[in-house]
Amino acid sequence: MKKIRDFINRADISKFRFWLQLFFFILFVYGGYFSINLGNSIPVFSCGYDREVGGMCYFLPLQHQLARPLDVLLSAASISVLIGFLTFLLWFIVFNKAWCGYACPLGTMQDWITGLRKRMGINYSTYTQPQFNSLKKIKYLLLALVILAPIGVGLGILGGEWRTAFCEICPGRMITPLFVGDTSQWSLDFSTKSAMVLTTLGLMFTGLFFVGSFVKKRFFCFFCPMSAMHYIFSDAALIKLRKDGDKCTKCGDCYNVCDMQIKDIADDVQSTNILRDDCILCMKCVAACPEDDVLHVDILNMPVFTSTKGGFVKRMQMDDWEKKDD
Amino acid sequence: MVNFIKRDNNDIYSKPIMGFLFKNQKFLLTLKIVVLALFLYALYFGFAHTGKDNTFTYALFWGIFWSLFMVVTLPTFGRIFCGICPHGFMGKYITKYGLQKKMPKWMQNRYIGLFLLVLGWWGIYYMFPGLYRTPLGTATLFTVMTLISFVVYFVYRDMSYCKYICPIGTLTRAYSKLSFTWLGTYKSACNECKTFECATACPYNLKPFTFDSRNSMTDCTLCMDCSSACEAVSFKYKKPSFSLFSKFQTLKAEVWAYILILASIPITMAFHHGIGRSNAAGDMIWSTTAEFFKGYISFGSIDPIGLFAFLYAILFTVSAAVVGMFIAAKILNKNFKDVFYNLGYSYAPLFILGSIAHSLETFFMRGYKQIVEGFGHGFGFDIDVTSLAQRGDSWLHIFDLLKWVAIIWALIILYKRMKLLDADKMRKIIAYPFAASLIIFFLSVNMYRGYIIDTYGRASGGHGSHGAGAMFQSVSKDKATLLQSGKDKGSCIVCGMNLVKFYKTNHAAHLNDTTRQYCSIHCLAEEKNLKKMPLSDLKVVDVKSLKFIDAKSAFYVVGSKKKPTMSEVSKYAFTNEKDAIKFSKRNKGKVLNFDEALKIAMKDFDTPAKRMAKEVSATDIVYFTDKNPAARRGKGGHGGHIHGGSRGEIPSKKVWPVFINNSGRLNCISNIRSELFLLDANLEVTKAKQSRGRDCKTVSFRMPDNGYYNLYYVDGNIQDDTLYMTTAKYEHMRFNHSNDAIYDNENMSAHSIKEVPFDILRVREKGETFYHRLYAGEKVRIKAILNSEPIEGASVTLSTKTGWSKTIKTDKDGIATFVLLKDYFPEWNKFDRRHKNNFLLTATYTQNSAGEYLYEPYKKIKHTTTYPSVYYPNDSAYSSYAYGLLAAIITMLLSGVAIYWYRKRNQQPFKEVRFDEKD
Repeated sequence: MKKIRDFINRADISKFRFWLQLFFFILFVYGGYFSINLGNSIPVFSCGYDREVGGMCYFLPLQHQLARPLDVLLSAASISVLIGFLTFLLWFIVFNKAWCGYACPLGTMQDWITGLRKRMGINYSTYTQPQFNSLKKIKYLLLALVILAPIGVGLGILGGEWRTAFCEICPGRMITPLFVGDTSQWSLDFSTKSAMVLTTLGLMFTGLFFVGSFVKKRFFCFFCPMSAMHYIFSDAALIKLRKDGDKCTKCGDCYNVCDMQIKDIADDVQSTNILRDDCILCMKCVAACPEDDVLHVDILNMPVFTSTKGGFVKRMQMDDWEKKDD
Repeated sequence: MVNFIKRDNNDIYSKPIMGFLFKNQKFLLTLKIVVLALFLYALYFGFAHTGKDNTFTYALFWGIFWSLFMVVTLPTFGRIFCGICPHGFMGKYITKYGLQKKMPKWMQNRYIGLFLLVLGWWGIYYMFPGLYRTPLGTATLFTVMTLISFVVYFVYRDMSYCKYICPIGTLTRAYSKLSFTWLGTYKSACNECKTFECATACPYNLKPFTFDSRNSMTDCTLCMDCSSACEAVSFKYKKPSFSLFSKFQTLKAEVWAYILILASIPITMAFHHGIGRSNAAGDMIWSTTAEFFKGYISFGSIDPIGLFAFLYAILFTVSAAVVGMFIAAKILNKNFKDVFYNLGYSYAPLFILGSIAHSLETFFMRGYKQIVEGFGHGFGFDIDVTSLAQRGDSWLHIFDLLKWVAIIWALIILYKRMKLLDADKMRKIIAYPFAASLIIFFLSVNMYRGYIIDTYGRASGGHGSHGAGAMFQSVSKDKATLLQSGKDKGSCIVCGMNLVKFYKTNHAAHLNDTTRQYCSIHCLAEEKNLKKMPLSDLKVVDVKSLKFIDAKSAFYVVGSKKKPTMSEVSKYAFTNEKDAIKFSKRNKGKVLNFDEALKIAMKDFDTPAKRMAKEVSATDIVYFTDKNPAARRGKGGHGGHIHGGSRGEIPSKKVWPVFINNSGRLNCISNIRSELFLLDANLEVTKAKQSRGRDCKTVSFRMPDNGYYNLYYVDGNIQDDTLYMTTAKYEHMRFNHSNDAIYDNENMSAHSIKEVPFDILRVREKGETFYHRLYAGEKVRIKAILNSEPIEGASVTLSTKTGWSKTIKTDKDGIATFVLLKDYFPEWNKFDRRHKNNFLLTATYTQNSAGEYLYEPYKKIKHTTTYPSVYYPNDSAYSSYAYGLLAAIITMLLSGVAIYWYRKRNQQPFKEVRFDEKD
C-alpha cells in the first residue's frame, strides 16, 4: 500500500496530465468518429458546433432549454431542465474542477499553445494582483449572460439570435470545429444587427484567444463561465484540493507554478479547502510543494495525491531543463 | 438604558432612509394614524355604499392589506404589517386604560386564531363564494373583528388578542421567520443593563434582549416601541430565514399554521380553481363526493364542490405531512413529535412565495387599476388608469419562478434542520425524502394541475370569477331586457344566438306590431338591408345603463378591443357621447353614428373569401397553399404555421387548394369535387376530406409521426375530346425535434402513389436529414412520373413568387434540374435569414392515347401537376468569411503589437550594480 502511495506521490504528473489531456481531447473532439456520445451535459467546453463531438458542452443545451417561452419553461418542461442540470452535476461532482485541467479541449489547446511558446523561448505574462482581482469577476458576468440571454428570448424581450448569445462569442465555437475541418463558424453574420455584433465579438475573442493564450498561460480559463458555474457546486464534489496550513512554510513554489496565478494557494494558511474559483485542479501545486502533506488531493476524504519531499526532489531533477525556459 | 451606540454595518437603523422609516417615532405614529383613518373610513364607506359601485372598500382590504402588502412584506421585511395594524395601534392604548387581567389558560391558545382563519374565513370563503367580497360583507366582517379585539384588549393585558385570537397573528408570526430582518440588541450594551427599558416599553411584555440568544423574536410585531426606549435595540439585515437554520424553541401552532394555510389556500385553489376549471373537473373526487351527498342533503346556498375541495385539500395535505414525518421519525428512530415540529418549519416558504407570485401578478393585471381607481372613488376623484399588464403577457410568467424558489428553499431549510437533529447520518439520508413529503406533495399538485389543464383543456368560460374568461357582451339574466315574447324570446330572431350572452350588442326593431330582438347589428343589417324588411323603431342596448335606447341617436364605438359579435369589428353603443369617447379611449376604436356603424356591419356580408370562392374548370391549374388566400394583408400573413404545437396534441396542417383564373386572379375553391389522397409518413395512403365551411375550402391532415406527408388533389375532366388530369400535390415534413427520431432513408425518400397517374417528385439528395431545407443557389432535382414510370419530355416550370420562371423538359430518366435563384435582396439591416421564397413547380405532359374516362371517350390526355415549396436565403447572402477572418486577424495583430510594445517599454535595461566592498 505504501509502495503504491509512494509511486503515485513521486509520479511525473506533467506527463500523466499530457496523455490524459490528449485522450480527452480525442474523446471529445473526435468522439463522433468512434460513435461515442456521452450526452449533452458535459461540464467542459467540448463544443456542440463540432459535428463529431463526443459529448456536448452543457451550455449549448442549457441555453436552448432556457430560451423556451417562460410559461412552458416553468411548467412541466422544467423537468427536462432539471434532468439536464442533474446530469451535469453528476458529471461534475466526480472530478470537480479537474475537468478544466484534464478534460477540457479548449484548455488543452491553450496548454499546447503554451508549449509552443516555451519552445520558441518567449516569456509569459502575468496580471498584477489588482488586475487579477478585477478581471476575475468577468466570468460571473459571462455566466449571467449564459443564463439571462436565453431567458430574455423566452420572455420575448430579445431576438432569436440571443438564444445562444454566449456560444456566439465563445472562441470554442470557432476553434473546435476546425479540428474536424469545419470552417463554417468563421463567418460574420450580417442578418441582424445583434447577430453581427455577437459574431464580430466572437471572432475578436477568437483572435484574442490565440494571442492571449500565447503570452498568458490558460488565458481564457480566467474568463470562463463554466469555471464560475463549477465553483458554485464545487463544495459538493468528490475530489477536493486541501491544504494543511500549519505545515506550510509559505515558500511560494505552488504560486509560481500555478497557471492561474492563484495567490491564495501560497498565502492562505487558514482554509483547508484551498480550491478557488479560478483553479483548474491541474495539481501542479501539489507536485511543486516541497513539504510533506501540506497540499493533497482527496477523493472522499481519502488522500490520493500528496505533496512529499521525495516527490519534490525527484520532480526537480526531471524538471530542471524545463525550468530554464519558463 | 443606552443613549448612544456604534451601530453595525448591517443595522437598518444606521441607514439614512430605511432608518428613518423604521425608527423615527413621529413618522411611525403618523403612519399608524393614517392607516387607522383609512381603515375606519373604508369601514364607514362599506356601510354607506353597499353596492358594487363601491370599489374603495374592496380595494383597501382585498387590494392592498391582503394580499398584496401582507404577502409581499411578510417573507421579506417581516411582520411590518402588524407594526402598523390599526387593531394593534388602538389596542396599545385600550390596554393601557383597561382591566389588565391575565388571560385565562383556556384562551391562551393559538389554535383559536388559526381556527378562525382556516374555518371561519377560508371555509366560509369556499362554501359561500363572494360573501365577504361585497363591500357590506367586508365592512361587517372587519367591524365585528374590531369590536372583538377592542373588548379583548380592554379586558386582558399584554396584547393577548394579537397572540391568541387574531386570525392572522400566528400566521404572521410563522411566516415572518423567512424574512431578512431581525430585531435584536447589542449584547455588549445589554450585558451591563439593569433597567431593561426595552422590556418595559414592550406592549407585548416581551424581552427584546433575549431575542438573539433564543434565536426567536417570539411575538414581536415590529411596533418599534422598544427602539425608542433604548438605543441598544438593533434592527438588522440577515440572511433570509437564517433563524430556521439553527435551534430555537419550536411552537406547534406555527407548524400547523404552515400546513393548514398551505391546504386552505394554494392546494384548495389548485383543486377548486385550477383543476376545477378544466374539462376533467367533474371526475375529480371532490366533485363526485359533492354529487354523492347532493342526493341526501340539501346544501342550500352552500357550494358543495368548493366545500369538499377544501375538505379534501386539508385531508390530503395533513396526511401527506403527518404520514411522511411519521415514517421519517421511525427511520430516524426518534420521537414523532420532536421530528414533526422541528422539521415542519421547512414548510414555511411553500405557500408564501407562491402567494407573492400570485399577488404581484394580480397587482400588475388588475390590482393596480383597482387600487388607484378604488382610492379615486373613495375620495371623490374620477381617475382612470390602464392595467400595467394584460393576462398572458409573457413577462408575467417570471413570477412562476418563485414557486420553484419556494420548493428549493424548503428543501434547503429541511436539510439544515435535519442536520441539527442528533441521529445517524445514513438514517438522515434515508429519512430526508420522507420528511420532504409535503414539499413533494406541493410540487406534485402543481405538476398535476398543469398536466390536467394541458391534457383535458380549460373548460369554456374559463377563469370565471377572475373576469377574464367571461365575455364582455354577457350580463346576468336579471339585468337583460327581453322584448320578444313566446318560447324563443331569449334567442336572436335571425341566428338564434342567446340574447343575454351577447346582450351588450343587442338590437331591436318593430315589424308589424311585433318586436324583433337581434343579437347584434349584424343580424339587424341582414333583415334591414339584405332582406329589405320594413323595420321601424330601431333600438340598441346602451352599454352603460344596459337599457334599450334609440339606435339612430346612439353613439357607436366601432373597432374597439372588446370582442365583436358575429363580426370581426366590434360595435358598442352608448347614449352619451362622453361615455362613448371614454370607452374608445380605453379600448381604442372610433365613435360613429348608427348609419356609419351599419355600413361597416354590411361589409361582413361581402368578405374576400366569399368573393374568391369559385368552381374549378377543366383547364385550370390547381395548387395548394398554406396561406389563407382570403386573409387580409398583414393579418394571417405569417401563414403556414402548424397547429397543435402544445404537448400531447397531434399537429395538423391546413392547406387551401387554389387556382388562377383566366383573368389572372387568384381564386380559392368553393367546392372540391376531386379526389384527395394523403400519403403519410409511414407510406400509407388514405383519403383526405375537405372542410365543411361555405367559402374557401380547405384540407387538413394530421401528422402523428416524423416524416414527409404528401397531400394529393386529383381530378379528371373531359373537354373538347381531351381528358384534363389535374393534379396538385403538397409535401410537408413534420419533425418534432426529438433526439430519438430516426431518419429512415426509405420512408423519407420521395414516393408516388398509384392513385395519382402523373406526379412530380423532389428527388432527395445525399445526406438529407430532418433538418433539410432548400437554400438559394442549390440545385433541386425534379422527377416526373407517369403511371409509376419516369417520363421523358414532360415540361416542368419553376416559378417564384417574384415572377421569375423557367421551363425545362425532363431527360430520359424523367429528371429536370433547377438551380434555385437568389431572389431576395432586402436592405442589409432588414435581412431575414428565415425569409421564405415560395416557388411553384408545374409539370405538364400530353399523352396522345384515346380511351374512356368515366364512360366518356377522349382522344388525348393532358396531365398537369403542381408542387409548391419554399427555399431560404443561402448563408452566403448574409454571412461573410472575409470579414470574419478580418475581425479575428485585426484583433490578433492589434493585441499582438500591443503586448510587444508593452513588453518592450517595460523592459529594464541591464544595469550592473557594483558595491564597493570597502564601504
